[in-house]
Amino acid sequence: MSETILKAQDLHKRFDKVHAVQGVSFDIRQGEIFSLLGPNGAGKTTTISMLSCLLTPTKGDAQIDGYSVRTQADKVKQVIGVVPQEISLYPDLSARENLAFWGRMYGMGGAQLKERIEAVLDIVGLSQRAKEKVETYSGGMKRRINIAVGLLHQPKILFMDEPTVGIDPQSRRRILDTVLELNKKGLTVLYTTHYMEEAAELSHRIGIIDHGKLIALGTQEELTRTVGEYDTLHISVDGSKTDPGALVEPIGKIKGVHRASLEDSSFIIQAEDANTVLAGIIAQLDKAGARVLNLRVDEPNLEAVFLHLTGRALRD
Amino acid sequence: MKVLRIAWKDTLTRFRDRKALIGLLAAPLIISALIGLAFGNINFGGSEPPLSHIPIILVNEDDGQLGQVYEDVLTSDALADLLDVTKMDDLQAARIQIEQGEARAVVHIPTGFSNQIIPASTGASVGQASIKIFTDPTSTVAPVIVKSIIEQISAGINTVNLAAEISAQQAMEYAGILGPELARLAEILPEELSQENFDFETQKLSLNKSQVGEVQQDINAFAYFVPGMAVYFLMFSMFGGARSILDEESRGTLPRLMTTPTPISEIILGKMGGTFLTGVLQFTILMLASRYIFQLSWGNSLLGLAMIVLLTVFAASGLGALLTSFTRNQLQANVVGMTVSLVFGALGGSFFSTQNLTGALDFASRLTINRWAMDGLTKLTISGAGFNEVLTEAAVLGVIGLVTYALAIPAFQRRFVK
Ligand SMILES: Nc1ncnc2c1ncn2[C@@H]1O[C@H](COP(=O)(O)OP(=O)(O)OP(=O)(O)O)[C@@H](O)[C@H]1O
Ligand SMILES: [Mg+2]
Repeated sequence: MSETILKAQDLHKRFDKVHAVQGVSFDIRQGEIFSLLGPNGAGKTTTISMLSCLLTPTKGDAQIDGYSVRTQADKVKQVIGVVPQEISLYPDLSARENLAFWGRMYGMGGAQLKERIEAVLDIVGLSQRAKEKVETYSGGMKRRINIAVGLLHQPKILFMDEPTVGIDPQSRRRILDTVLELNKKGLTVLYTTHYMEEAAELSHRIGIIDHGKLIALGTQEELTRTVGEYDTLHISVDGSKTDPGALVEPIGKIKGVHRASLEDSSFIIQAEDANTVLAGIIAQLDKAGARVLNLRVDEPNLEAVFLHLTGRALRD
Repeated sequence: MKVLRIAWKDTLTRFRDRKALIGLLAAPLIISALIGLAFGNINFGGSEPPLSHIPIILVNEDDGQLGQVYEDVLTSDALADLLDVTKMDDLQAARIQIEQGEARAVVHIPTGFSNQIIPASTGASVGQASIKIFTDPTSTVAPVIVKSIIEQISAGINTVNLAAEISAQQAMEYAGILGPELARLAEILPEELSQENFDFETQKLSLNKSQVGEVQQDINAFAYFVPGMAVYFLMFSMFGGARSILDEESRGTLPRLMTTPTPISEIILGKMGGTFLTGVLQFTILMLASRYIFQLSWGNSLLGLAMIVLLTVFAASGLGALLTSFTRNQLQANVVGMTVSLVFGALGGSFFSTQNLTGALDFASRLTINRWAMDGLTKLTISGAGFNEVLTEAAVLGVIGLVTYALAIPAFQRRFVK
């Protein structure tokens, strides 16, 4: 297992009236995409703000690349790239001018800065329009420049706070692809979203956050399993030569199978992991001479997990 | 270094924004020009006024005291070089004179003008009376001058009214965001001037001989009012600059700056530095422009001038930042900035000479940045004073700047670090 780059320990943030974050702890490993998934007001931005040294935690601390966000903010800020939820750019400057300005705020300059500006423009695919003022950009283009700024100084870890909110599907797709590509090249990403599909597609691991608390943490498979959700296998067989009913019991006894039943000539099998039980099931069917006509695996999704944990839907 | 980057980014942005430029530069120049024109102190581009002895016809059908005031002023010695006033009784005949090119404008004061304006002691309702000006459509500058003079007389031949009224009224009307509305001023002014009718309310017509007398004083209007307007509009832009810190906070660029390895003190100093730089540029351009457009001399001591200007901008940007740091949001900051700028302008001599102030009013006046700036600047421009003679003003402005900066930086810091 690769080493931990970020370690959040019992982070709390209390505003005047709101206890926005209430003891959040998690680790992010080098090279991983880690998502915080949660509904509006869950505390995602507040958590990222503490990790970005923008808010001082009321309690708790976090180490990023070994530096404390409480006491070594200067070091932390060199290591992290931040893509805020709001588009935080100067609308009356061009994209290139924005990048030049922000690059200088990271202490860059000269040829290195020029080179990086072109590189990040290329990554977000806006080299052609870089001369234009940001205020003339579409929402999706602004979001892409917002991301480019976070990449300028080649951070070890990139914080992305709901980077696809309020944009069209194509732009969203583009951004997700960019994240995947950056990750493939080794960038560690902390991603927040309230879209289950995004978390599912991007993340190596996911933390589900609600009312300021991390209520679940793990890979998508782990999460869905911890709440007692199983993969569901639907297997239709040709029942003309054998009696499928006789096979329900032996299949149910296969290790890893939680429950098996038959509806018409289709088996509905709940298993902890479809892949580990599949071979055994097929072997049973084969032995009895039942031909498989159709097979489908439904993985339990995060939506179901959230529903299970909170009794609420992720999106209201 | 980052301080300068931030300051430069702000300054560049402001001077690239055409609308903001009007507020920064055009409005003070236009108002100064109007005041100058109204005083007959026209000196565009040459030592000889290119416009003089403008032939105009006065048709005064009013037999009251007000019509007489207009007549007195128009035919006064102060305007003798500028206007050649002929009196006629027949409006139609007078208008024909325009068509024949004999006159550039006809000023018509209607019958019963005084009676209509000054209500009977019974308190009868005030009628709307207007003086009409008919102008030569082929002539561009002369009608503007005539109109501005009439406007001046109507405003009580008191420059307080013209400048304060236009800027205060318009600015208040659009009290939303400062930059844009001040910017609109320049669009509004020519519009107002192109109106043919001037409607008056009774309050404005509290004319008396002593006010009329002001016109006859042979003062160099430009030498006083250009610095006056420059300081007045400087206050607005300095408050606007301070407010841009709050704009960046709500736009998210300030929080983002705070996630970069840039100390918050440098960010705040950069923002205040940007405001300072804007003020210095604004003032410098106004000085250069007035030098070349109005032939205005800014005195004999370049060093003294530089010192007063830099310290005025220093004090104004510091005060703007300090007051803004205590406001709840941009809207409140706007109201505070507007109020302080207007009050300081009124008290501090941006519109009228504070020479004759006494007692509490004089004391209040001395609490304003405008007063010290104007005292210093007019010593330099009007009295031709040297560096050593403006040291007191410089010291006061310097202290205001130091104290306000010293308080504003930690105040902002406390506000933004959460
Ligand atoms: N500066 C603040 N002052 C007071 N309360 C705040 C502040 N910032 C956030 N909160 C509150 O803290 C809670 C968590 O907010 P946060 O912005 O972290 O949620 P989020 O998960 O990012 O939501 P969203 O998906 O809407 O961005 C909310 O109840 C919010 O109202
Ligand atoms: Mg958020």
